[in-house]
Amino acid sequence: MGNENLVKDVVKEPYKYGFVTDIETEKIEKGLNEDIIKLISQKKEEPKFLLDFRLKAFKKWQRMSEPDWAGLGYKKIDYQDIIYYSAPKQKDKISSLDEVDPKLLETFDKLGIPLTEQKKLTNVAVDAVFDSVSIATTFREELAEHGVIFCSISEAVKNHPDLIEKYLGTVVPASDNYFAALNSAVFSDGSFVYIPKGVTCPMDLSSYFRINSGDSGQFERTLIIAEESSSVSYLEGCTAPMFDTNTLHAAVVELIALDDASIKYSTVQNWYAGDEEGIGGIFNFVTKRGKCLGKRSKISWSQVETGSAITWKYPSCLLLGEESVGEFYSVALTNNLQQADTGTKMIHIGPKTKSTIISKGISAGNSKNSYRGLVKMGTKATGSRNYSQCDSMLIGDQASANTFPYIKSQQPNSEIEHEASTCRISEDQLFYLQSRGIEFEEAVSMMVSGFCRDVFNQLPMEFAAEADKLLALKLEGSVG
Amino acid sequence: MEIIEKIKTNKSIDNQTEIQKICLDKLQSSPLPNPRSEQWRLSNKSKLSNFLDYSVNENYSKFDTPYPKNSQSTVRLIIGENCQIKLIEKNYSIQQLSEDELHKYIKEQISFFNQNEHWSDLLNLSLSCKNNILGLKINGSKIPPIEIFSHASSNSLNAKTLIIFLENNCSVDLLQVNLCEDNSSLSQSTFFCLEENSSLNHGVVSYGVNKSNLLNSLNVIQQKNSEYNLGSLHFKFNYARFEIRIKQSEGNAKTNIKGMQITKKDEQISTYTKIDFDGPNGFLDQINKSLADDKSHAIFEGSIIVPKIAQKTDASQLSRNLLLSNLAQIDTKPQLEIIADDVKCKHGATISQLNEEELFYMRTRGITLTEANKLQLSSYFQEIIAFIPVSKDRWDLLDKLLNEN
Repeated sequence: MGNENLVKDVVKEPYKYGFVTDIETEKIEKGLNEDIIKLISQKKEEPKFLLDFRLKAFKKWQRMSEPDWAGLGYKKIDYQDIIYYSAPKQKDKISSLDEVDPKLLETFDKLGIPLTEQKKLTNVAVDAVFDSVSIATTFREELAEHGVIFCSISEAVKNHPDLIEKYLGTVVPASDNYFAALNSAVFSDGSFVYIPKGVTCPMDLSSYFRINSGDSGQFERTLIIAEESSSVSYLEGCTAPMFDTNTLHAAVVELIALDDASIKYSTVQNWYAGDEEGIGGIFNFVTKRGKCLGKRSKISWSQVETGSAITWKYPSCLLLGEESVGEFYSVALTNNLQQADTGTKMIHIGPKTKSTIISKGISAGNSKNSYRGLVKMGTKATGSRNYSQCDSMLIGDQASANTFPYIKSQQPNSEIEHEASTCRISEDQLFYLQSRGIEFEEAVSMMVSGFCRDVFNQLPMEFAAEADKLLALKLEGSVG
Repeated sequence: MEIIEKIKTNKSIDNQTEIQKICLDKLQSSPLPNPRSEQWRLSNKSKLSNFLDYSVNENYSKFDTPYPKNSQSTVRLIIGENCQIKLIEKNYSIQQLSEDELHKYIKEQISFFNQNEHWSDLLNLSLSCKNNILGLKINGSKIPPIEIFSHASSNSLNAKTLIIFLENNCSVDLLQVNLCEDNSSLSQSTFFCLEENSSLNHGVVSYGVNKSNLLNSLNVIQQKNSEYNLGSLHFKFNYARFEIRIKQSEGNAKTNIKGMQITKKDEQISTYTKIDFDGPNGFLDQINKSLADDKSHAIFEGSIIVPKIAQKTDASQLSRNLLLSNLAQIDTKPQLEIIADDVKCKHGATISQLNEEELFYMRTRGITLTEANKLQLSSYFQEIIAFIPVSKDRWDLLDKLLNEN
């Protein structure tokens, strides 16, 4: 029985990204109304179509109510007490990284994000977003040689308004849900990726989101378009300082894959989760959706969710194109008073579409970890297949693990398989490993890592190492 | 929605009993379940409204049972027939519950009712008159098989209630048959209390004719070391809803459930199950099968709740579904809510059609397509039917099903 307490102890790990960067920022006043939206749009010198998009979304948002079906218990959010635009003060236009405030570079350095060009060896292009704006995007010239556009969404609005107008809001419409509507009204920055026909992106692309200010929300928007026969692997990471107030993060990610295109979207989410008493932490309400528009297109989501006080996130795939493929691989770790309600939606619309869902949830402390997923076979999805597997691991007898799979089929010539199981770190396995001379802490870490192996195998190499380390860190601590 | 209008004005029933009054009061503020709630969101609103369109019939009318009673030892009861039963034998006794006992038990149950979750029971108890409530107390050993019939006559809404206390150490086979005539609605609520070391093999067979509707609610409380086995079959209903709520109040109990629903034409049949483990060492093995053809809709929602106290629970739930037509649809949602960490819980769900390779194999051996289909279906049905305590020589359910499908 003693081991149970030890397991509980080893999941305690202080948050090491909780520092605040002392930098001069430009903020607008708190509150949300049409004038604020016009101000954000004006600050970003946006074309009229985008301002109209924002105002329309705001009107829709005003008529909507906050969703409560996930049963997440959190204090009501005062949307008028949030700053919707906050940016570090710097020169208007950055032509090279030398002009970026060194403090900012230092911040990203501390986070282990290679913004400086000498770190080329990592071969990952990074778009760094600090509070509401994108600070820098690396390797742009190299990417441009291949015709790949990788920039902040604000720049894309200026330089490629036709693409933005054509695709923005086509996967996640403003009226999709409460948080998507809010994001559509106030989104400040994010990343834009365009991979032209036939191009395999020469390097992994990455966005790094950093919330620095305690009273401003972060509302980024990411749009990735993969033209015919192109492919890209995109990585996303995020951290935030420790504040005793809750910060709202409501992002929207839209992916579009045309014929034979493939998009791999990987996330390691490590927002500040609040302290042991549940004070502070990020409210992470995110809408992520990909549209497999083309034949044989493929969208793959992989995520490692370890942070945030509350996570409400369902990366989804709309499988329209014939033989298109959707994948979802997820590890969600909750501890203390964290709550995670995450899963996916696989909507099979076209014929011969396939989807795979592998979800691993680990609940420790007093946390609540739920898998909520939808698999739907439409009437035209003949010959389609889905396979889902949801496993939960419980550490301690105070945490809860829930599974809510919604399965709907309207097509007899399709197959859906779903399975779920629950387990814990068993005394027998621990004893076995320890009897072979493996330290208790390492044994727990090995077992958690083994439990998540199916998902880690799907992550790009850089992230797989980071994710493994992240879980190990969360499991590192005071073993007595 | 005739009944709802009456409930709103509280004029539904003359000579209301106290229980009816309590339930009518509870329903008055919100007479219908919340269509946005998880339990009712997939329920067809117009079909539910059709269920409530008939006027209440409290009288008993004669009907033909599906098979004759030919065994001397079988106890056959028909709810509403005004039957008096008091069987006291050497080894066992089957007696009716006194009015006080019934009253006390129902009142206690109502106090736990949640408006949405127990709406079917609230409606049943607000409409069920004294004659249509059958309460039994069973004890002893070597108890003969019991058959209980509920019947709904044409163009009316009938409410029948069954309450059974199974006392310590007794073991019973009970078959419950719900029959609905043309254009009729039956509200059937059943309450079982299984005391320590008791065991109940329960079969529920419900079927209708054209435009028959059924709201069938089953509430089981299992005490320590009890065993509850349920085999259920629902078919031929315009609208049917089967709610199963089982509570292992102290853990250490065993529950086995095998259920099947068959939908055709534009029928909708749904099964909702909620299994609460309120103590350690509980066991559950559940299979629910659906078969949807034509333009019909079959629904299964199962939830398993394992709180902190329910350590060493072993629960599995499987939903297997056959979708036979392009216009039919199946919704299934097996869910787990777990807090205890030392448990074995799993669930699974599949939706597909009849296996084409098997069909091909049989046809290459000279079996016609119709015969091959029949063979496949019979193997699909057989697993469930074998679990229903009914003797084959008197009522061949498999033949009945194969002929109907």
